Amino acid sequence: MLLADIYQLWQSAWPAGLTMLGLGSGFALVLLIASVKLKVEVDPKVEEIHQALPNLDCGACGFAGCGQYAKAVLEDAELLGKCAPGGPDTSGKIADILNLQVSDSGPHKKPIVHCRAHTEDKTFYAKYQGIQSCTAANALANVQACAFGCLGFGDCCEACKFDALSIVDGLATVDYDKCTGCTACSKACPRDIIEMVPFRHENMMTVACRSKETAKSTRAICKVGCIGYGLCAKQSDLFKVEENLARCDYAKYETTEKEETAMNKCPTKVIIYRGKTAPEPLQPRQKAAAST
Amino acid sequence: MDTLSILLMGFISIVVVNNLVFTKFLGICPYLGVSGRIDMAFGMGLAVTFVVTLSGTLTWLIDHLLLIGTSLEVTRYICFILVIAGAVQLVEMYLRKFFPSLYESFGIFLPLITTNCAILGLCLLISLEGINSLLEAVVLSFGAGIGFTMAICIMAGIRENLDLADVPDCLKGAPITLITAGLLAMAFMGFAGMIR
Repeated sequence: MLLADIYQLWQSAWPAGLTMLGLGSGFALVLLIASVKLKVEVDPKVEEIHQALPNLDCGACGFAGCGQYAKAVLEDAELLGKCAPGGPDTSGKIADILNLQVSDSGPHKKPIVHCRAHTEDKTFYAKYQGIQSCTAANALANVQACAFGCLGFGDCCEACKFDALSIVDGLATVDYDKCTGCTACSKACPRDIIEMVPFRHENMMTVACRSKETAKSTRAICKVGCIGYGLCAKQSDLFKVEENLARCDYAKYETTEKEETAMNKCPTKVIIYRGKTAPEPLQPRQKAAAST
Repeated sequence: MDTLSILLMGFISIVVVNNLVFTKFLGICPYLGVSGRIDMAFGMGLAVTFVVTLSGTLTWLIDHLLLIGTSLEVTRYICFILVIAGAVQLVEMYLRKFFPSLYESFGIFLPLITTNCAILGLCLLISLEGINSLLEAVVLSFGAGIGFTMAICIMAGIRENLDLADVPDCLKGAPITLITAGLLAMAFMGFAGMIR
């Protein structure tokens, strides 16, 4: 009985199966012929370079994706080293493929936000209710008292494809575990306070301020702004004060005790560590012996 | 009616009155996904038009020459999927060889057309309506592609302006897009009943 059923089923099913098989092989044959006839010769080097790239398609190199960049770099070797997330490692690999020598371009660059003022540190003259973006807010002169500090509307967060930036209490904060160094945030910031810095160490010392206001007005509007007092420059050559603002010279970056002293002596505690395992920044108007 | 007017009526019907996107809600995925910018939407529309014309014609041929003769209409779905996937592959290879710049600009959209249900829907619609002449099937397929292009371009135009509009927070992004799609479909209901 059962056998008869199965036989009947088979009787009605086999033409369908056969037709599908025939159609399938027919299409396979057509596609096979087409793939041979329409074969496009691709330089194997393009594929190799593509493999060497991080495949994030972030666009930092100025091309739409890693595929396009791989093709372009093969044709024009001058484009080598444009891959920000890959850094020197990737450039080296590509140079090997292209039989080129790559000069040492230094360590991998990562962004540093040159502002450390959270909402409670800042001064506001009025409440901003316009378009919620830094670019729009920046067009307004008095959106916040400090004309140099982080606006905190998150243009950089939106630009980041890797979810590595967030606004914490009105300050853009980088998650260095997620950051690939693609430079999108530093391009997005209308106030140019996100700088790409060569990370020689896991944590980098930095002057987290860009204010060129005089000491008096900086003190009046921000609790943690650089007043250009110059104590750090006296301690170490790493720091230089120009236009009421201390800057850190990353070309000769090196942290010794002198720099630690400079950090501790800074009256507004604007010199801080930024990086993966950066210690909690010191708070201004506290004894300098805080934990690191 | 003579052949020409039947063809013309069929074309207008599938483009405007029975537009696949607006009345049957087929192919919504690319319709919402690729309608961000007008040039991309147009490219997608053209690619779909090309593939839908090719696969509509091919499926009609297979249906009439093979499946109906051997009373294997049950395998239509599977066969049609096979044809569409094959056609897309073929188109991709062809474009890559002869129009590399076009291939580059289509990018990922080309293989994605395989899963565009407007195409399978149109192929099934043709056999469902019992279209008996090859010419009519070709015109209907082409019209469906044109209809899709029109729909996605209108949508892209609206969405480009929507970016500048002050949309309430809770409706930003997908919700307002879906509402727009619904309103557009309602507007196109005005054509309903004009031609069958």
